[in-house]
Amino acid sequence: MLPRVERRAVARHDDPVTMTQLTTRPELLEREDVLAALDEALADATGGRGRIVFVGGEAGVGKTALVRRFVESGVGDARVLNGGCDPLFTPRPLGPFVDIARATGGELDELVAAGAIPYRVAEALMAELSQSRPTVVVLEDLHWADEATLDVLRLLARQVGDSSVLAIVTYRDDELDNRHPLRVVLGSLSSVPAAGRLRVSPLSRSAVAELAEPCGADPDELYRLTSGNPFYVTEVLAGEATSLPETVRDAVLARAATLSSCALEVLEAVSTMPSGAEPWLLAALAGQTDRDLAECLGSGMLTESGSVVVFRHELARLAIEGSVTPERRALMHQRALAALQARSSSAVDPARLAHHADGAGDTDGVLRFAPLAAVQAASLGAHREAAAQYRRALRYADGLQLDERAALLERYSGECYLTDETDEAMEALRSAAAAYHELGDPLKEGATLGQLATILWCPGRGAEARHLGVEAATLLKALGPTAELARVYDQMAFLTRMNADYESAAVWSARARSTADAVEDAHAIEWTSGSQEVLRITTGSTDAIAAYEARADRARREGRVRTLVDILEALVLALLPHHGHTRSRGYVEEGLMLSRESGHDLAHLYYLAHQAGIALDLGRWDEATEVAEVVLGERFVSTFPRTLALVALSLVRARRGDPDVWHLLDRARDLSEPTGELPRIAPVAAARGEAAWLAGRHDTVAQETDSAYELASSGAAPWALGELAVVRRRAGIEDSLPERLPEPHAQVLAGRWREAASRWSALGYRYEAALALADGDTDAQREALEALTDLGAAPAAAIVGRRLRESGVRVPRGPRTTTKASPAGLTERETEVLALVAEGRQNAEIADRLVVSRRTVDHHVSAILRKLGAHTRGEAVANAAQLGLIQDR
Amino acid sequence: MQTYVVVRRSAWPTLDEQREADLRSAFEAARMADDVECIRSYVLEESDRTLGSVCIFQASSPEAVRRHAAAADLPVGEIVKVVDTVLALPDPVSTTS
Repeated sequence: MLPRVERRAVARHDDPVTMTQLTTRPELLEREDVLAALDEALADATGGRGRIVFVGGEAGVGKTALVRRFVESGVGDARVLNGGCDPLFTPRPLGPFVDIARATGGELDELVAAGAIPYRVAEALMAELSQSRPTVVVLEDLHWADEATLDVLRLLARQVGDSSVLAIVTYRDDELDNRHPLRVVLGSLSSVPAAGRLRVSPLSRSAVAELAEPCGADPDELYRLTSGNPFYVTEVLAGEATSLPETVRDAVLARAATLSSCALEVLEAVSTMPSGAEPWLLAALAGQTDRDLAECLGSGMLTESGSVVVFRHELARLAIEGSVTPERRALMHQRALAALQARSSSAVDPARLAHHADGAGDTDGVLRFAPLAAVQAASLGAHREAAAQYRRALRYADGLQLDERAALLERYSGECYLTDETDEAMEALRSAAAAYHELGDPLKEGATLGQLATILWCPGRGAEARHLGVEAATLLKALGPTAELARVYDQMAFLTRMNADYESAAVWSARARSTADAVEDAHAIEWTSGSQEVLRITTGSTDAIAAYEARADRARREGRVRTLVDILEALVLALLPHHGHTRSRGYVEEGLMLSRESGHDLAHLYYLAHQAGIALDLGRWDEATEVAEVVLGERFVSTFPRTLALVALSLVRARRGDPDVWHLLDRARDLSEPTGELPRIAPVAAARGEAAWLAGRHDTVAQETDSAYELASSGAAPWALGELAVVRRRAGIEDSLPERLPEPHAQVLAGRWREAASRWSALGYRYEAALALADGDTDAQREALEALTDLGAAPAAAIVGRRLRESGVRVPRGPRTTTKASPAGLTERETEVLALVAEGRQNAEIADRLVVSRRTVDHHVSAILRKLGAHTRGEAVANAAQLGLIQDR
Repeated sequence: MQTYVVVRRSAWPTLDEQREADLRSAFEAARMADDVECIRSYVLEESDRTLGSVCIFQASSPEAVRRHAAAADLPVGEIVKVVDTVLALPDPVSTTS
């Protein structure tokens, strides 16, 4: 049974209440606050302090209407630029900025048209925007944005503060789960002063009542059914007088049904075009007359947006699209494709053509446009989109020539590899290799198998990978020296290096180099000599670092971002056996940014995992936890970064004395042990040894570390060997001292605790420094206890405390509180809140800033008032200034 | 979700502050409902007359407990995982009867 909104007033069936009879636009009720905040932001921007404001709200809450009202009524002579994202199956790369570039022309337009990478686009955009006049940039529906767009957005947000730009970004906050890329962007901008958020809330009960009144609808029932969503409210009130549709779908369909059949046809045609339809296109498709289009616009279902007609509400578009039979929908896509192609110039977006070809089931069209769209997306660093376009093409590839299909598979695999869709990447390469085999093309078959070998290593199947690499090399060797053979040799050098088998790696690397020399391929000579340097860095040469860094400089100068990402990644991996954090930190920071920008997700995961490891070592445990959780939360297949993240997270927990350590360490062991590869196994074993020692289970340390210690005694992973040797010594295992240990480990083992502690401190390893002091005299132990307590390292602190008590020193127990230090007895958090109150911020704003609930801030503020004996916020601030709790303003 | 005991020793100088902390804790827990649920707390009278607490939580991870504590401005002494519960009697309504 349908729920009903009973109308008290008599409403005749032949006289439905229409939108025009509503006295107020529902979306614009109760929006004064948000509009005032936008006015304020515009005033800031006009004064040269640019702002970016994120306007969030649920679908249908009226974000667009609000922004439109703001732009129409309050921006004075500011220039306004509009761009938006569309719910395409596969998003249009840089969609909103393409819209803006079209409007501005100039260098920005040229760059966007040429498919420049995000940071170049952002640069050009800022240059365009930094003209003298204030500019309002409206970016709509960014929850549908592709990665490239988000990258530009992030860069824009960081630079906007010094400009006269007000950027308004709308998004559906009800569609952002925690892993949504836009959520990540929002999170990363929380500390950017120019960035702020506004929320457009659903209407209050009284606003709904105000709207219901003239229509004679029951306000309570209307509120219950719509929860104050203006779209629902509008739909319900504009619907048939006495009945309420069960769902919005029904509401929309009911409304569409009032249109003439010609107008309905227009509506249906537009529903297949999420990014909107140009009037000429509609004329070609639906044979529409201006009257039909006017009818749709008049009904309020469609609206004009720049040069196109779009649905006023995406919910409505979905409802209409879903109401069309599949056959008819296919026909409409077919017509749209034909019309767009007939008109076609380079101006038509290939992603749009591919969308319609796919919708029409048009094989030739998909095979023509999807790969084009893929290349375009990839050139913008939107590799997920690129992979999706290739996947789309491959769905239609059955009739292709074998070699064409294999080429498509290879390109698909490349995009999958970059986004760590390892299984798909391998499957595609296997099919491609089989195709080349069938075609009798051993050169391409061998090259494909070589690529497959590298990818096989990612999920930890190194032995299999090396086997396959040898097979590929054998196949290629029979053809004489080629660049492909050099590549496979080089891949073998990588695979053996990652197995810490440096002798074999040197042999493969030399072969790769001499093959490259023999074919005189400059490109191959470049990367084979590069990997020789990487191998030397891995085995401890420091002069090779400078040589390899010079390559990074070159890539940086020439703007070769992909190459630079790879070079930095190779450097970090090569330094990993030595924990060269001082150097690695810089590489990781740069790599994180560049890999994100260029859409190299796999490299990004590696950088994140390294970041977690470095944060662990440097005592930044919250950061280590947060970053490790991001890595572990990713749906990805490569096991090396996962192992590193598991080690970081489990060690933070073990060192803090938190529970749930061992299931993480078990997962790490299960990932690392089957690989048989020392660089993966040793850190896990060292972590397990440390966790056992901290838990007081000295007897199990040997069992946890024996085989890794033996494996590491080869000296191939000196840092891990040092860690293993130290933890074994702490657990009372007497080993003969291994040679070639890193300095601080050697000092710890030699009992030179003072030197070890200062060496650790110099390296920034606060936890290790404290543990070294714990081996010292009573004063050193006291210092160790303090440092460990500061770090929150409860188990180690307990061990040191016990040692001190055993030597008869009285040790205070319990946590130190900072509360007593504050004159008014404010807690740290209260002091923080007070500072924000003093800046004149409201509780909601403070809650956003501190990522706590509004109620918690309310509590803090009332506690602050009480403790400061104040009745108002102003009084509290004044009293606090007097007490020296805050700077007098 | 997993059960944890969270120990906060000598965390509050007065009962008022403890009660306020309790309210903050409840609000943050409501906000983090997917990750943290507060089951019950025992408020402790410490030997130095300050107050502490032992709280029983259901949480997705120790980090979630720490995040909750940070948001609600509560100290964390120790987090211990509970592997089994033995119920002898229900909690008495009041400990001061």
